[in-house]
Amino acid sequence: MDAAGAADRRRRWVADRVLLTLWIAGAAAAPLLPFAGLARNRLVSAAPVELAAALLPWQAWTAAGLAALLLVAAVASPLPRRLAEGLVLAAAGGLLVLLLAAVGDYAGRAVSPEAPAARVALGSAFWVLLFCCTLALINAFQRLRAGLAPQVLFALAMTAAVAALFALGHFDALSIMREYANRSDAFGSELLTHLRLVGSALLPALALGLPLGLWAWRRPAVRTGLFGLLNVFQTIPSIALFALLVAPLSALGDAVPALKALGVKGIGAAPAVIALVIYALLPVVRNTYAGFAGVPPAAIEAARGMGMTPRQVLWRVELPLALPVILSGLRIVTVQAIGLTVVAALIGAGGLGTFIFQGLGQYAIDLVLLGAIPTIVLAVAADFLLQILVALSRPKGAR
Amino acid sequence: MIELHGLTKLYDDARVVDDVSLTVDQGEFCVLIGPSGCGKSTTLKMINRLVPLTSGRILLHGEDVAALPAEQLRRRIGYAIQSIGLFPHWTVAQNIAVVPTLLKWPKARIADRVEELLALLRLDADGFRDKYPHELSGGQAQRVGVARALAADPDVMLMDEPFGALDPITREVLQAELARVHHETGKTIVFVTHDMDEALKLATRIAVMNEGRLVQYDRPIELLFSPADDFVRDFLGKADLGLKLLTRRWVHQYVAPAPWADRRASMGSLRDIVATHGHVWLVDGDGRPEGLFGARLWRAEGDPLGELSRIHPDWLATPEMTMKEALSRMVWRRVLALPVVDADGRLSGEVTMAGVMGRQPEGAAA
Repeated sequence: MDAAGAADRRRRWVADRVLLTLWIAGAAAAPLLPFAGLARNRLVSAAPVELAAALLPWQAWTAAGLAALLLVAAVASPLPRRLAEGLVLAAAGGLLVLLLAAVGDYAGRAVSPEAPAARVALGSAFWVLLFCCTLALINAFQRLRAGLAPQVLFALAMTAAVAALFALGHFDALSIMREYANRSDAFGSELLTHLRLVGSALLPALALGLPLGLWAWRRPAVRTGLFGLLNVFQTIPSIALFALLVAPLSALGDAVPALKALGVKGIGAAPAVIALVIYALLPVVRNTYAGFAGVPPAAIEAARGMGMTPRQVLWRVELPLALPVILSGLRIVTVQAIGLTVVAALIGAGGLGTFIFQGLGQYAIDLVLLGAIPTIVLAVAADFLLQILVALSRPKGAR
Repeated sequence: MIELHGLTKLYDDARVVDDVSLTVDQGEFCVLIGPSGCGKSTTLKMINRLVPLTSGRILLHGEDVAALPAEQLRRRIGYAIQSIGLFPHWTVAQNIAVVPTLLKWPKARIADRVEELLALLRLDADGFRDKYPHELSGGQAQRVGVARALAADPDVMLMDEPFGALDPITREVLQAELARVHHETGKTIVFVTHDMDEALKLATRIAVMNEGRLVQYDRPIELLFSPADDFVRDFLGKADLGLKLLTRRWVHQYVAPAPWADRRASMGSLRDIVATHGHVWLVDGDGRPEGLFGARLWRAEGDPLGELSRIHPDWLATPEMTMKEALSRMVWRRVLALPVVDADGRLSGEVTMAGVMGRQPEGAAA
C-alpha cells in the first residue's frame, strides 16, 4: 500500500536479518567447500571431503533439522521473541557440538588400521559453519539483552560439551591432535611460557600504567606529552620493536654481567616482555585516565566538602567509579598481549608462536593450527573472564 | 556564629572577593546573593576552606577556622551543592551516612540517624533507604543531598545554590521544606543564590554582593524598603518590588473574619449576609468551605446570589502561605477573596483583594 506498510511486511517476513545472512553463508559453504581434507600421510596434499560424505546419516539428518529450525527462527518466526532466541541458542549450540563431534568421528573412521598414516585436516566448510554458529549465538544473546549470568552458564555448558568430546577421544584421530600427541610435552611447556610472558608483561604494565594514568589526570600538563610518547610506541610494528630491542639489550647484558645472570640479553624473554609492556602501557594509561576523568566532578566536590581526606576521596569515590573503565583497559591489553606474544617466538622467547612459525617453515598447516587455535581460545577466554570482571566491578548504582 | 573579617581572595591579581566582613548569628538564615561572578560562592567555599583565602580571618564560634585541619573542620559543617554530588555507587542510606561514617559513629547510631533524616526530609525510609541515586528524581536527590548535609548534626550548614538545577515547582516545594527544617532545627545556614525571590522567601538576613564586595547586609524587609544604592535597587527588580514585598508577607498577617453560612441556610439569610459583606462562604457540616456567593471578579455587578461558585482546591489559602502566592491565586482564579483554612481544612477566615491593598499588616518587619 505504501512504504511504511511494505517495510512492515518485510520486517514481519525477516525476523532476524543477521541470522538469515549467517544461515545463507553457512548453507552456501556446506555443499560448496570441503568439510575436511584426507591425505594418505603427512607429506602428500589432502583431497577434499564433502560434508555429505563426512557425516553419518543420523548426523546429517540432525544437522539438517537444526538448520531448518534456525531458518524458521530467522525468517517468518511465528514464535514470541524470547522463545525464538532460545530456539536459536539451542539449535546453533547443538549444531556446533554436532559438527565438532562429526568431524572427529569422520577422522576416526578414515584413520583405520588399513591406513594408519592417513591424516584428516579440518576443511574450510567446517570453519565457515563453526564461525556462523558462533556468530548466531552471540547475535542471539545480544537480541535477548541477556544478563551476564545466562551467558556464563551457556559458555560453561558449551565448554563442558567440548571438553567431554576431548575426554572421550573424539578428536584423537584429527591431524591437529596427532601433531599435539607428537609434541604434547613441548605444547605444555610452550603454553606455560606463553602465559608467563603475558603475565610478566601485564603486571609491570599495570604497576606503571595505573600511576601514570592517575598522574595524567591530576596534571593536565603531563597528559599531552605522555600520550604522545605512548602513541609513538603504539605505532611501531611489533616485529620491528622486538628487533629494535635486541641490540641495546644484548649490549646491556654484556656490559652488566649481573643483569645477564638475571636473563637480560638480546634475544629471549627480556626484549619480548619489554616490548609487550610498552604496547600494554598506552591502553592502561589511557583507560585509567578516562576512568578518572569520567568521575562526576560534583561527587568529588561533595566528597571534599564533607571532609574526606584526599586519600579517602581517591579510594572511596574516585577509584570505585573509575574501576570499570580501568578494567576495560586491562581487558584490551590482556587480549592484545596474548596475540602479540605469538610474535615474540621470533626472537626466541618461546610461547605458542613457536608452533606457528615451525609450521609455517615446514608448510605444516596442522602445526600452525596447534599454535593458533589455543592462542585464540586463550584470548577469547581471557576476554570473557575480564568482561565478567568489568560487569561485576560496575557499581550497582551506576548503570 | 560565623564571623568573616576582611575576607579577600585574589586569583592572579583579580579581586574575586574584596574585603568582605559580616557576622552570621546563631540560628540565622543568611543568604549571599549577587550576579554571577560576584564572589558569593567563593566566599562560601572559603568558610569550609575548599577555597584557600588570600587574607582575612574566619571565626566559627569564635575560633579561627584555620586552626583546625581542613577535613575536621568540614566534618563539622554541613555542605550541599547545586549539582548535589550524590555518590552514584552508594545507596541513599550510605550517601546520607558519609560524614557519620567519617566520624566513626557506631553502626546502630548511623542507622537511626539515617531513619530520622529521611523522615525529616519526608522521604519514606523503606522506599528510599536502599535506592541508588540514579533511581531518584531531581527533587528527591536534593532532599537526600540536604539530609546528607544535616547528617552529623552540624550547627552550621553551607548551601551553594542547592535548588538551582530544579524545576520551578520542585524548587518551591524544597524551599518550603528547607524553611521548615531551618525552623525545626535552628541551624545556622549560609545559602548562596542568584534568585532574589528565593532569597526573600528563605532569608532572615541577606548579603548582597557585587564585584567581590559586600554592598548591603540587612534583613529582607529593610533591603526592600531601603536599598543601599542603585545596584541593590536594580537587583531587587524595580518592576515587581511590590510583589517582592508580598513574598515577605504571610496570609496570617492579613486574615480577616469571614462571612459564612451553613450550606443548608435559607436563601433569605444568605441574602442578608451578602447585603452587608458583598459575599458569603458556604461551609459543610464540618466547617469546610464548599462554595461562594458573590465576590467573583467578573461578576462584580448584578445579583451576587445569581451564581454559586464551587470552591476549587486552588482557592484555599493557609496561614503560612505568602501573600504573593495568595494574590497570585486570586488573579489566576479571578476571585476577590480566598478562604483561609486551618490544618483540618476548616474555614478560619479570609483574605481579600481589598485587604491586600488596604493596610500594612501588624508585625510586618519579620
